[in-house]
Amino acid sequence: MVRHLHIPDGFLDTYWIAATYAITIVYYGFIGAKEKITFSPEKISLVTTLAAAIFVAQMLNWPIPGGTSLHFLGSALAGILLGPALGSITMALVLLVQTIVFHDGGITALGANILNMGIVGVLVGYYIYKLGLKLLSGLSENRRIFISAFLAGWISVFLAGVVCGVEIGLSPRFPYGVLVTIPVMGGWHLLLGIIEGVITGLVVSYIAVKSPELLRAGGGVK
Amino acid sequence: MKTKIILLIVLLIIVSPVFGIILADKVGYHEPLDIAAEKLGLSEESSIEYHTPFEDYSFPGLDPITGYILSGFLGVVIILGIGRILRSLVKSSE
Repeated sequence: MVRHLHIPDGFLDTYWIAATYAITIVYYGFIGAKEKITFSPEKISLVTTLAAAIFVAQMLNWPIPGGTSLHFLGSALAGILLGPALGSITMALVLLVQTIVFHDGGITALGANILNMGIVGVLVGYYIYKLGLKLLSGLSENRRIFISAFLAGWISVFLAGVVCGVEIGLSPRFPYGVLVTIPVMGGWHLLLGIIEGVITGLVVSYIAVKSPELLRAGGGVK
Repeated sequence: MKTKIILLIVLLIIVSPVFGIILADKVGYHEPLDIAAEKLGLSEESSIEYHTPFEDYSFPGLDPITGYILSGFLGVVIILGIGRILRSLVKSSE
């Protein structure tokens, strides 16, 4: 069983394997250099606890008759709670364990999968949430947080799906081109992303009320 | 908060086979990208040979439901274990 955004082995050709690994390594190298001085034991605890929760949440795979499934992805949530750098590290840790221990997502596609869910999903989620809070300043605090987090979750899953469609579609190993793969992946994830948005909205709202210090501690959106 | 999160994680692991195994069997579920690969003749082994005893969240010799639950615990223990090692590395370098 390979989860619906996790590209298996055999889909990407050598060029795309190299390109996606290269982008991912450069991105994490950059974050590593930036965060090096500030890696505290507390931050590591936040990252690994959230990673464990997201890993388990992704196992709750709700099958939809007709050939796809629904499960929480967590990229936007990680970005909102911990900020883009630590959020990306959290998702990379989840994907690394899924791929190496359970072969969920291909070894050759790990660069692409981290790019989609650990970089695109996290950055889009973080910045949409930040933008939402700014644009919705007329609303009450609770509504502002829920709607911004909802949009962050929804759009992050949609765009991660689109980028996944681009990678598969442009890879010569996969017989269908981007004209097929982008509408199919994008269309599905536009729908699946609504649930992601609702869960992200509820979890962020809950944390904002129950333990707002968690939002501050991780370096996420204040 | 941390105890609550751990409790939530344990609870989710225990109910996870309902979704991941039982409902999936009921609707004859296969992942769309796996189906696409099969139809197009793309073999997962075509590019790299990789095998793990816990392939697809299973445990060798155990039934799928028990295997799925144990896989959940294994994944969480590995992730938290990595955290513990990193914390001790950071502490000792301070």
